[in-house]
Amino acid sequence: MDNLLEIKDLHAGIEGKEILKGIDLSIRPGEIHAIMGPNGAGKSTLSAVLAGRPDFSVTQGSISFAGHDLLAMSPEERAWAGIFLSFQYPIQIPGVSITNFLKSAVAAKRKATGEPELSPAQFLKLLKEKMALVKMKGEFAKRDVNVGFSGGEKKRNEILQMAMLDPVLSILDETDSGLDVDALKIVADGVNALRSPEKSAIIITHYKHLLDLITPDVVHVLKNGRIVATGGLEIADRIQNEGFDGING
Amino acid sequence: MADEKDILAAAVERDYSEGFVTEIEQEFVPKGLNEEIIRLISAKKQEPAWLLDFRLDAFRKWQQMTPPKWGHLSRLPEIDFQDIIYYAAPKSDSDRPKEIDPALQETFDKLGIPTGEREVLAGVKSKVAVDAVFDSVSVSTTFRRTLAEKGIIFCSFSEAVREHPDLVRRYLASVVPVGDNFYAALNSAVFSDGSFCYIPKGVKCPMDLSSYFRINASGTGQFERTLIIADEGSSLSYMEGCTAPMRDENQLHAAVVEIIVEKDADVRYSTVQNWYPGDAQGRGGILNLVTKRGLCRGENSHLSWTQVETGSAITWKYPSSILLGDNSSSEFYSVALTNHYQQADTGTKMIHIGKNTRSRILSKGISAGFSENSYRGLVRMNPGADGARNFSQCDSLLIGDNCGAHTFPVIQNLNPRASVEHEATTSRISEDQLFYCNQRGLATEDAIGLIVNGYAREVLSRLPMEFAVEAQKLLSVNLEGSIG
Amino acid sequence: MDRVYRIGIDEVPKRLNLNDCEQLRLIFIVMPGVSADIPFEINIEKEGVELEILGLYLSPHSERVKFNITVRHMVGGSHSRQLFKGIVGGSARAEFDGLVYVAKGAQKTEAFQENHSLLLDNGATVETHPQLEIYADDVKCSHGATSGYLNPDELFYMRSRGIPEAEARKLQMISFVSPVISHLNETMQNQIISRL
Repeated sequence: MDNLLEIKDLHAGIEGKEILKGIDLSIRPGEIHAIMGPNGAGKSTLSAVLAGRPDFSVTQGSISFAGHDLLAMSPEERAWAGIFLSFQYPIQIPGVSITNFLKSAVAAKRKATGEPELSPAQFLKLLKEKMALVKMKGEFAKRDVNVGFSGGEKKRNEILQMAMLDPVLSILDETDSGLDVDALKIVADGVNALRSPEKSAIIITHYKHLLDLITPDVVHVLKNGRIVATGGLEIADRIQNEGFDGING
Repeated sequence: MADEKDILAAAVERDYSEGFVTEIEQEFVPKGLNEEIIRLISAKKQEPAWLLDFRLDAFRKWQQMTPPKWGHLSRLPEIDFQDIIYYAAPKSDSDRPKEIDPALQETFDKLGIPTGEREVLAGVKSKVAVDAVFDSVSVSTTFRRTLAEKGIIFCSFSEAVREHPDLVRRYLASVVPVGDNFYAALNSAVFSDGSFCYIPKGVKCPMDLSSYFRINASGTGQFERTLIIADEGSSLSYMEGCTAPMRDENQLHAAVVEIIVEKDADVRYSTVQNWYPGDAQGRGGILNLVTKRGLCRGENSHLSWTQVETGSAITWKYPSSILLGDNSSSEFYSVALTNHYQQADTGTKMIHIGKNTRSRILSKGISAGFSENSYRGLVRMNPGADGARNFSQCDSLLIGDNCGAHTFPVIQNLNPRASVEHEATTSRISEDQLFYCNQRGLATEDAIGLIVNGYAREVLSRLPMEFAVEAQKLLSVNLEGSIG
Repeated sequence: MDRVYRIGIDEVPKRLNLNDCEQLRLIFIVMPGVSADIPFEINIEKEGVELEILGLYLSPHSERVKFNITVRHMVGGSHSRQLFKGIVGGSARAEFDGLVYVAKGAQKTEAFQENHSLLLDNGATVETHPQLEIYADDVKCSHGATSGYLNPDELFYMRSRGIPEAEARKLQMISFVSPVISHLNETMQNQIISRL
């Protein structure tokens, strides 16, 4: 089967500083890839480049996503095509409730993909269903997006949005950081519930805990802007025991 | 970076869909301003002598005055007051036709203003009584009979002068004296029409009342006068809207609104100001120079101002409250959006005289393009205002780096048992916010609309439902279906 | 660097341009019995400046005190913070007129201004004009102003612990002025506290 995502020789950075120094990565439909690595390895840069953050620039290489040239697409076009980035630091939008925010986002995506608009009742039903998935109470949707949220609430809100937007490729950028055991379980259950043979995910993490809950098909180790090792879950065990220093390409 | 700025600029663009002209035969008084013109206007309206004297007195005061220069309004032009037509009215055979002219009917239909009662009663529009003012005259007032059954008077100002002269005479200029300021004096001399409203003791007005102002004729100004009296224990929600055609010339709008709130009465006054703002190069647009003031005269009286200011080339406007009655209270909620070369200098005055009076100010300014947006306000605690409190919050949002956002409050405290708190902040739409929205599939202009509406939500939520929807649309582009 | 100006004793410059100094703290002190107009303008013309202006005015009798402080950020990347506190009684009148100006292009400016006054008596007047004039979008600017009286809940709390009312009031006033006077030497702190 064709690859869903194909990254070739990707060089990218910010403000003239190169951070990714030649990444090659292929993900097939249905696969979950974990990317592990120490601080400053370029993990978040990779997720930012995949989602099209404007302040990062790609200097070399290519990314194809479902047969399209991803780098030619705007962030919202990428979202419509099915890329979802769970932010490491979700952004506050004062005065805009989760309901209104998601209503706008879902409507924009359906419009772009030619699907019929959801009626308010259909939308609310969907929202309720997905909120149950991440164990959120109904009132939560009335709160302003990320304003005054605890760390756990922010991450659950990200997973709720992911569930609502039904992406083909989810990128979880350190979604586990700062979560306690219960919150981690909720996030993992949410992600697992959305697994399907067509859908892929990239899980970016420092630690193995999340990978015990969401079993990846492939584990990569990213160091100094390059993938230095690729394998199965045994790599994660090695990192757990020996740290990143022991892993070299 | 340049690209991103262009995107921001494009996103705050909007079309002015109310910019059409109505072709209708109108009569005018000659251009210019002098005692003869004032006599002519007064004669056309068959006014009593006392009102002509009132006008002439105002005119003489106005001649001694000079236009205020303290506003942060560098683009306010020198106005040639002799180059304006002070009275324009659709031609009609009788003074007050039974049926509204079809061309006018069409105009107000196009603007979405219900001038008939049928569609309201049929449930097509929500229940609002409307006084529709076209240039210098009120052309229709709906639900007068329904309201009259409760003793409520809602009619054009001219009719009030004829039918309720005692009420008009007692209250006219009792809140905004003739010589209060340059533009109020001008209005007092030449005002043509406007709305009059009286809610008797203990009556809760059964529907929202509204005035809709339309400037149509070229070369004219609009000088309407609104007088609202809420007698003891009554309550009222009042809405005001306005639009004008797109023209290269500036047109002057100098209105006066006076509100008297008696003991235990409650008045909510809401405005969605959408006068033609001028084009992207700053040509044309309405000069909106208005005086609005309410007097909370009785104990426990309450007045709230909510305004959404998106139009006009120049806005100079400070809806204010005088808190005379003990325990009276007032609020001012404002959103002012300026784009291109628009300039707004707007805010409020809260004058605390009575004991335990309370006021709250919430102002949200949004500046884009090359515009300038200023909050200007006064909070005064008089020596007798024991236990009075004020809280003010003034936020500015800047979109792009060619605009200006300013805050000029004045706080005067003369009472050791009164407290005043004021806070102001500035912010912008961050690139992080935009990217977050983009990542969730919202195009940049939709994202800006959403963020701006969120920023203004606390004010918008104070508006009557139908107005809130209109205001949200005005504040953003292409938000259709995205706001619940 | 700290500079303390005792109004009526020390000479105060009317205008300063900051183009070499990195860090500067200015403290204006107006003691009881002093009436003065204090116009002061400072232009920040260099990136990386950290400016702090503190002010204290004690006007319990019939003083007339007027601050007219203008801080202009002509270039970006600098920070200014102003804190003016006053206690006004008798028939005194204190006015604070403060403008923060951020020029076009002065991005990454941070400018904060606060003015807080306590009124002690009928007949005392406080007037505040905290103004922001901003022509750059990537900035953090705010101002806050309050005027009011000693918090009666605090007062009651202290009295319920056995502190006599007069002493409790004095403690409240010390607490009110401490953010300013904590930057002064002990001699001056004691001088001020003894006059509260």
